Amino acid sequence: MAYVIQVEGLTKRFSALVAVDNVSFQVQEGEVFGILGPNGAGKTTILECIEGLQEPTAGRALVRGIDPRQEPHRAKENMGVQLQASAYFDYLTLTEVLELFGRFYHRHPDPRQLLALVGLEDKAKSTVSRLSGGQKQRFTLAATLVNDPQVVFLDEPTMGLDPQARRHLWETIQEMHQESRTVVLTTHYMEEAQALCHRVAIMDQGRIAALDTPTNLIRHLPVPYRVRLVASTTLPLGEMEGLQGVTAVEHSRNGEYLLSSVNAGHTLPALLALLNGRGAIAEHLEVFTATLEDVFLSLTGKELRA
Amino acid sequence: MLFLTLFLANIKMLYRNRQAIFWALFFPLIFVVVFGLFRLDEPSPVKMALVDQAQDLLSARLVQSLGKVEFLKLNTTFNEEEARRKLVDGDIAYILVIPSGLAQRVSSGHSTNLTFIYDEKRIQNNQLVQGVLEQFLGEMNMAVQGSSPLLTLDSRGISARRIGYFDFLMPGFVGMGVMTFAIISMASQLALYRQQRILKRIKATPLSVRTFFLAQVGAWLVLSLVQAAVILAAGMLLFGARVYGNIVWMFPLVILANLAFLNLGFIVGSLARTVEAANGLANVVSLPMMFFSGVFFPTDNLPSVLREIVRLLPLTPLLKALRGVLLDAQPPWHYPGELGLLTLWVVATSVVAVWSFRFE
Ligand SMILES: Nc1ncnc2c1ncn2[C@@H]1O[C@H](COP(=O)(O)OP(=O)(O)OP(=O)(O)O)[C@@H](O)[C@H]1O
Ligand SMILES: [Mg+2]
Repeated sequence: MAYVIQVEGLTKRFSALVAVDNVSFQVQEGEVFGILGPNGAGKTTILECIEGLQEPTAGRALVRGIDPRQEPHRAKENMGVQLQASAYFDYLTLTEVLELFGRFYHRHPDPRQLLALVGLEDKAKSTVSRLSGGQKQRFTLAATLVNDPQVVFLDEPTMGLDPQARRHLWETIQEMHQESRTVVLTTHYMEEAQALCHRVAIMDQGRIAALDTPTNLIRHLPVPYRVRLVASTTLPLGEMEGLQGVTAVEHSRNGEYLLSSVNAGHTLPALLALLNGRGAIAEHLEVFTATLEDVFLSLTGKELRA
Repeated sequence: MLFLTLFLANIKMLYRNRQAIFWALFFPLIFVVVFGLFRLDEPSPVKMALVDQAQDLLSARLVQSLGKVEFLKLNTTFNEEEARRKLVDGDIAYILVIPSGLAQRVSSGHSTNLTFIYDEKRIQNNQLVQGVLEQFLGEMNMAVQGSSPLLTLDSRGISARRIGYFDFLMPGFVGMGVMTFAIISMASQLALYRQQRILKRIKATPLSVRTFFLAQVGAWLVLSLVQAAVILAAGMLLFGARVYGNIVWMFPLVILANLAFLNLGFIVGSLARTVEAANGLANVVSLPMMFFSGVFFPTDNLPSVLREIVRLLPLTPLLKALRGVLLDAQPPWHYPGELGLLTLWVVATSVVAVWSFRFE
């Protein structure tokens, strides 16, 4: 059995509100598993039920076969937890916090090593209160590893970071993966899930709308391709809509055409032939595949970051 | 040992937290300094104008003797009108008019009136000053007549200890400092830990929250001992506060009461949603105790209903026992009622604290 995490029929209600609605999935050993969804989708609630921080209303979650409700100590010993927007003691230095938290576990790696992993070695002796927002976030990542856990839970690890800091954090998460830890993370960012996760569960209103690898999720989209074109002359919209594979054409104000296509291999030659026939030149031609953003849109009919 | 590690970490955090140190030490010390400087227990001198219209030997003797009365500050003048104006303006409190020809009238055997003019609004001092003057004139009468008194009063104070108002205040400041800091800072600390999700983060580790809070309480008890020692030392060394008992007895009393205060702070921190709310609610709990439990005035002066209520608040028995131990030089077990009440508070607040606790 290679499942590290088994979630079976997990449901969590807050009085009338169903935050998590009968959710089941498994996470494999060494996998980076993403839970993706808008605000209030139930991502945090699922994580906290698996971590044993919240009681499920129904169903259960096992980590390495252990139910955190029945054997909390054994479950926690092997888990690294980063909570959404959590803090550490303001008046302890980074080393002191890591040493203190390390004492709560049997296994505790050297704090210097952990700080090196997130690039905060030079801040080892400053207090948590003196860190910048991004440094704090990196520090919480180091603090999830105080017990050298096999399973790591990260709740929106890059929330509120600028793109560069986010990439830096991605590298750290990839290192966690290379150290053969199983990582479960939540995020709002499609590109993050696409870059980091082997499999992604897309959540909406407490349910899993789809669960697969990012590539598969995109491939199974009804309209997986987009073609962007800027031409030297105006083109007839009706003719373009008739091209092979094309499902829709938009003409934006700045003269750009955006074609949706089910098959780029068929659409492109037809489009070039059309241009040729009219003696027009393609000043800009770009083909790109849909993103998880589009997957979310097609699954739920909603923009992810509305 | 895990408890010890946590305990030391808490001590470190307290030591590095400037705001905590301010509320723990400087806030009560401000009271010590203010009351130490103003010395409310020593009566301020009473200003009296002496209008000496006689200007003879006898009036000179009167003036000289009156000058020896400790709390009268004399101001000799001829002009009664001016003195009256000053009294109305509040510059002086009393006027004593010595009529002209005093020596002559006395030697010819006529009884003579000195006029005592006072401000009717100064009710408290008027009787005192009048009494002092009457006693003084009685002595003068006998001296002038050359007779010695047949009956005299030999006054002997029973209490060997002089306990002034400032001495009375000092144990009050110790109790007040410990109480306000424990309740307010414990409440806001707990609310902050919850708001910052530190509690939840702790819950995600194998550490039990009980150990986590016991270590914190341990560190704060140590701080309360430092508080008590520093406050009392400041009063004694800077302003000569008098202490008659064994100071060491103060510490177990402070610890016992502080357990109840910390629990109260913990409960407030659990009930409040935010740090600000916790702070406000903690003030609501601690301020009435600070004013009514006898920090500044003996509770005996309160109306009886209020006094009975105040008697049950945890600060009241602490102050009673502290004053007994420090001022009356009694051992703590001389106050079983107070100790029992404090213990009851500790037990009751512990139960409520555990019951009210929540992680988020
Ligand atoms: N303690 C609680 N009491 C009541 N409702 C709650 C509680 N915790 C969460 N909820 C509700 O449950 C739903 C799911 O919340 P959850 O925090 O799991 O969402 P999320 O996907 O993590 O959102 P975000 O991306 O904003 O972090 C939300 O509607 C939220 O309001
Ligand atoms: Mg969340």
